[in-house]
Amino acid sequence: MNNSHFNNLEKPHSSVAGKLRQALIEEGIDFSVGVPCGVLRRVIDFLAHDERIMHITVNREPEAIGVAAGAYLAGKKPVIYIQNSGLFTASNDISSLLIPYRMPLVLIVSLRGCEGEDAPQHFVNGKATMPLLESFGIPYVVFEQDNDIYDVVRNLYRRAEDAQLPAVLLLKRGWDKT
Amino acid sequence: MDVIDKDDIVVATTGLISREIFEKFDSARNFYNPGAMGLVSSIGLGIALGSDRRVIVIDGDSSLLMNLGTLVTIGKCQPRNLLHIVIDNESYGSCSEEESMSGSVSLSKLAATANYASSLTVFDESSLKHAILESEGRLGFIVTKITLGGRRDFSRPLDLVSIKDRFTRHLKGWPS
Repeated sequence: MNNSHFNNLEKPHSSVAGKLRQALIEEGIDFSVGVPCGVLRRVIDFLAHDERIMHITVNREPEAIGVAAGAYLAGKKPVIYIQNSGLFTASNDISSLLIPYRMPLVLIVSLRGCEGEDAPQHFVNGKATMPLLESFGIPYVVFEQDNDIYDVVRNLYRRAEDAQLPAVLLLKRGWDKT
Repeated sequence: MDVIDKDDIVVATTGLISREIFEKFDSARNFYNPGAMGLVSSIGLGIALGSDRRVIVIDGDSSLLMNLGTLVTIGKCQPRNLLHIVIDNESYGSCSEEESMSGSVSLSKLAATANYASSLTVFDESSLKHAILESEGRLGFIVTKITLGGRRDFSRPLDLVSIKDRFTRHLKGWPS
């Protein structure tokens, strides 16, 4: 039984989540690994249910970085999904594995702690996420709803490949509202 | 190293283990994890899932304990082409030999509980060689107890991008 929320949408390619899926498929994504976050529900839904994509769940964000790095070394094209709280947990693994080995992997990261946030444990991380990525010198983009996520993602992949660096797509709560 | 098949992949953990393997046995089939502490097993899992080659992970006791959740992940994925070797000196040997916690737990029992297909502890080189050969074709876990000490001046893998390029070409079967 497929209870995927995503697949219940009538026109998947016209929704924001559908466009994100299309961009990832066209980039050749065939492997996904991450730690769940409610904001990323629709991302996880299609990564976990697409037969073209091997999907692995892990217990903690550093594991996701390691598994994705290994899959990349073996010739796969992985995507990683985590919450920004986990970006901090995995920050050493990005800075000491993905960056020095020049692995152009894309991380889809939910951005908790921005405007409208109600949970105080996210406030500091929300403010510190972009400065962390700036300090790492890696490409990133915060998706805003008036942009086309398909173009945003394709462009982020070009930046990652041109720089041979990991890159981060930041998604705020409500990113997938259509 | 002489019982590890030439087609097998070797992934080595942070610190002196990577440095010793790099200095003595460097090869296109090796990947070193100098910085992302504890992740050698996760990297090995990713390679094993993406490749048909047998992957030999060379972990340390402290490194494994830093990323213990990975045992559960690996046990769940059940890659039959993964052998997870833990070199156990019951210390942070690459630091200042501070005591680790592997002396107070059975790592091989943890791996067995996590559903590794075979799991054992060995205390000498011939048993280790035998165990490496015996575990072929299934998800294996070997703890090899060693005494603390030895050289500390092994050279360091520095040109990481070349190591990566060489490794990925090797996995594709391309000339290096």
